[in-house]
Amino acid sequence: MIANLIVGGLAAGCLYAMVGIAIVVVLNITDIANFAQGEMAMVTTFFAYWLLDSVGLTWWQAVPVAILFGMVQGIVIQQVVIRPLIGSPVLSAIIATLGLNIVLNSVAGLIWGHQTYTFPSPFAFSAPLMIGSVPVPVASVVSILAGLAIVVAMTWFLRFTWIGIGLRAASQNPTVARMMGVSISRTSAIAWGLGGLIGGIAGILVAPLLFLDTNLMGALLIKAFAGGVLGGLHSLIGVFLGCLALGVAENLVGAYVSPAFGEAITFIIIIAVLIVRPEGVFGRVKVRKV
Amino acid sequence: MSAATDMERTQRQATSVGAGALLGLCLAAACAAPFVLNGYGLYVLTLTGVFALVALGLNLLTGYAGQISLCHAAFFGVGAYATAILTQSAGVPYLLSLLVAALFTACVGAVVAVPAMRLKSLYLAIATLGFGVVLQKIIFEWRGLTNGGGGLALSPPVIAGYELRAMGLYYLTLAVVTLGIWGAWNVSRGRTGRALLIIKESEIAAGALGIPAARYKVIAFAISAFYAAVAGGLFAYLVRYIHPENFSVGLSIAFLSMVVIGGLGTIGGSIVGAAFYVIVPELLRGIKDAPGLVFGLLLVVVMVLMPQGLWGLVRRLGRRS
Repeated sequence: MIANLIVGGLAAGCLYAMVGIAIVVVLNITDIANFAQGEMAMVTTFFAYWLLDSVGLTWWQAVPVAILFGMVQGIVIQQVVIRPLIGSPVLSAIIATLGLNIVLNSVAGLIWGHQTYTFPSPFAFSAPLMIGSVPVPVASVVSILAGLAIVVAMTWFLRFTWIGIGLRAASQNPTVARMMGVSISRTSAIAWGLGGLIGGIAGILVAPLLFLDTNLMGALLIKAFAGGVLGGLHSLIGVFLGCLALGVAENLVGAYVSPAFGEAITFIIIIAVLIVRPEGVFGRVKVRKV
Repeated sequence: MSAATDMERTQRQATSVGAGALLGLCLAAACAAPFVLNGYGLYVLTLTGVFALVALGLNLLTGYAGQISLCHAAFFGVGAYATAILTQSAGVPYLLSLLVAALFTACVGAVVAVPAMRLKSLYLAIATLGFGVVLQKIIFEWRGLTNGGGGLALSPPVIAGYELRAMGLYYLTLAVVTLGIWGAWNVSRGRTGRALLIIKESEIAAGALGIPAARYKVIAFAISAFYAAVAGGLFAYLVRYIHPENFSVGLSIAFLSMVVIGGLGTIGGSIVGAAFYVIVPELLRGIKDAPGLVFGLLLVVVMVLMPQGLWGLVRRLGRRS
């Protein structure tokens, strides 16, 4: 019983983590909390659905194309909406992404309507893996592996490639980074492209588990933020683990403590953790010079 | 040099006279509005006033003190429910229950401020969002007091034997908003407002100047919860049916958007932002399929073209003329 709940929680947590990582990559590099991340992923997922359903590509062909679409979408949005806002109050940019969230949702509604679609997945009909005596759905395993792969790949990218080092430099001190020849507007574009790419992967993995409709990512977005804050927004692995912990906590509290207050108690736990560790469990407290 | 300061002073006096005249004009227009508008127009205008009140309070917190809150919908809800329950069930006069409910909510706001003393930016946003969820859930589950998911239906309030219908409620809201503007003006111009501005710039600098940042953050949260609660008490009797779902996170995000669209740290911005958020969607209602699309686009366009908010534009136009 408890093992099943934990596995279910991990599966849900993985979905939060996927969106969470996409948000955090943009947040850490550009300081902007992207409220449109969920809807960007939703549009990417609908594009993948269109490729599968109308164009007739196979899953393995459609997914890379859709993920590429997600990246281009991120860069276009950055160029049109975010670039003019570099240097303005951060809250203005955040509210602009909120507007974008509404726009993308309406556009998807106009194109695809508000009915639900079943999104295919090559893992949907596989028999669950037995770990000990606990059945674990293959889709959950794929989500966990994909999440870990993204964390590892992003960490490698940010630590060991020239572009990644430039991104980190720009996020730490834009002025000095610019003097060293790092283009701030280009790093912002790369960050948004990466966010769109990772969000697209998240959407495509989430959609078969829920139903695909225009509100696919609405609930996930807030949970992703909450899990990210719990783990600590400055560490990718922290975000990943924070989201997993959030998923498990939700399931356990819902089953054992109080079904009605499940979500509320989860948030109380988050607030309590934040009071003790204001930068999240895995976060580092930034040392600031006056 | 003294000539320059003199000129500056006359200029400042001129702008303050101009601002005073503009304010008087707006007030006169607002007083005359019910005789021109139909019932629906009056409802929209009253709602604008109610949301402007929340925005005024939130702007003190976010615009001046730099603290993001995503639980103002819950403060708004607590105010609405407390006012409704006091008036309807306990038989307290409406104006008194508005005040008592607002004081109670201010205490709730002070409690919420406790984690705010340590948290920053997005961490604070998520913590306050959590408080919002918890408060909304308490309203939902405390069925004996709030009737839970069934909602509360309210009859028109009575002030001194006079039953407050749409018109009366509009004038009451107008009076409260005027008081609210006056209060926010005083707070922002006074010792508290200056302290909050420094805290926003740098808490370390504030500390070095002997400003207790923690205490001022609690004060800012309490004042802005007070504003939200009064607005909630008015809102409850404007719609005359309240339900826990009315006070969700989406509304908190809308409040924050009003403040940013109008202009952070400005009083006029709170009013303009609330008007934008209430009136524009109503105007767009006629467009088939895409009211959301147009509103979202407007939101993006306003932010991209006017990162300082609509009030910044108004001020720039005022200075030019």
